[in-house]
Amino acid sequence: MDYLAPPLSALIGELEKLPTIGPKTAARLAFYLLSASRADTAALSRAILDVKDKVRFCSRCYSLTEQDPCALCSDPKRDASVVCVVGEAKDVYAIERTMSYRGRYHVLGGLISPIEGVGVGQLKIKELIDRISAEGIAEIIVATNPNAEGESTALYLARLLTPSGVKVTRLAYGLPIGGDLDYADEVTVARALEGRRTL
Amino acid sequence: MRVTALEVSNFRNYAALRFEPASGVCVLVGQNAQGKSNLLEGLSLLSTGKSFRAAREVDLIKTGAPVARIAASVQTRTGEVQAACIITRAGEGARKKFLRNGRSVSYAQFLGGIAAVTFMPFDLQLIAGPPALRRRFLNIALSQANRQYYHQHATYLHVLMQKNAALKTPGPVNGALLQTYNEQLADAGAHIIAARAAYVRRLSQEAATVHARWVGAAEELSIAYQPSPDISDETPAAILKSLQAALSASSALEVMRKTSLMGPHRDELSFAVAGAVLARFGSQGQQRTAVLALKAAEYALLAQATGEPPLLLLDDVLSELDADRRRAFLGNLGHLEQAFITSVDRPELPSQTARVYQIAEGRIADAPLGAALSA
Repeated sequence: MDYLAPPLSALIGELEKLPTIGPKTAARLAFYLLSASRADTAALSRAILDVKDKVRFCSRCYSLTEQDPCALCSDPKRDASVVCVVGEAKDVYAIERTMSYRGRYHVLGGLISPIEGVGVGQLKIKELIDRISAEGIAEIIVATNPNAEGESTALYLARLLTPSGVKVTRLAYGLPIGGDLDYADEVTVARALEGRRTL
Repeated sequence: MRVTALEVSNFRNYAALRFEPASGVCVLVGQNAQGKSNLLEGLSLLSTGKSFRAAREVDLIKTGAPVARIAASVQTRTGEVQAACIITRAGEGARKKFLRNGRSVSYAQFLGGIAAVTFMPFDLQLIAGPPALRRRFLNIALSQANRQYYHQHATYLHVLMQKNAALKTPGPVNGALLQTYNEQLADAGAHIIAARAAYVRRLSQEAATVHARWVGAAEELSIAYQPSPDISDETPAAILKSLQAALSASSALEVMRKTSLMGPHRDELSFAVAGAVLARFGSQGQQRTAVLALKAAEYALLAQATGEPPLLLLDDVLSELDADRRRAFLGNLGHLEQAFITSVDRPELPSQTARVYQIAEGRIADAPLGAALSA
């Protein structure tokens, strides 16, 4: 890109490194930023640096936070006896958006996947076990992704934790709300049939 | 099921082609390396989502082109379906995208939209070749008619890979993790074994009937399913119990060998004529006739499962068969809605031929049927 001013091509190069951004989108964003006000671009660059400098893992639940322990862990109105276990920090926000969960969280930092070199030891599983006795947790809700690794991780946790007397539950598989039954794929419908309940 | 139009661009040796095949038996003739099999490969790709011969999918894209596209309009019992597969170069490999009626769909949703039975010279090794061929045969036949089977099988293979990776990880093996994988494998594996057992029972009956019609009832063909582990009772609950027991019993040995030793990824099929195992005692001719009966039975069962005759794709296989076997196989298919047959030589044309197409250098031309038959 010799025909571009070096700072501009450097910005395009940086943007291209981002996920889902291709060369065309990167160029479009770079030209937009060039035309944006100085205040806006300063706010963006500060925001990017701030997430690097100020966001860290909560020492209790391992979700992302600025203050340790995080707002969710230190909120006294939250039910400390129920903990929802998720794979990634972003899954916390998926559950929080529902506004119908009032317990606490535990982020594993991934799912068990020996193919990718992620064993039990790489995840915050030991930390979860420590929390159960330390915080008097009565129920663990496993909310890992509904794929093979999510299932392995959930079954492993159940195998590990159930003997200690804590109740271990798993999110239900089911039909999407507002959808048509005949549009759902067979596997989802079959799982929903297995998980049916009495009315 | 009938293909009314096939369109390919930058696929194998085809730059761009639109082909509107006739119904009935379409024979594609031409010299070697002109693109006959490529058209069958394209049709098969739209059925199974995978090439029946490419080791590397990037080879499906025409040299120098970035994207290959294969699309077909298919008349089915329930209406017209448009199926398309787009293959894009991505790094060293290729990425596939599937569309049904113009909408992007997942591989699992795409699979089985077009039902097809493919028969090529390679299939003649089904009886005596390695067991992976026979499992592949079962997987293709079952996945087309049963999406649950596809899902369970894909899950099984995925978990199996994770379990093998866990067994190979240096250091002591985590016993609870191994048990977790075995629990998942038993669950998916029991579904696979139950589906395979039921399918092979019907396949054996159907193939035996066809076989008896050709060679007489004295040489009775039987196909036996030999699951890993052995099962005594075919109810799903009993299969699950046997599989769970076998997996936990072989755990210690698996840890020692660092690989999975038990489960449907080690299933086998065995063919026998009049009680003698064909792979060991059968002549070449007997094995060929058995494969023909197997393919005819696969066709019949797929037609039953989908409620209409599937496409039949015969890649250069007729030339491998003598005149009697050829006639026997084609005569048995009964109501054939559409078949595609590739052949180098014209005199081999089956009697039901509807249309002959001449293929040369990635182009297609109608050849007069009369001339072809009298040649």
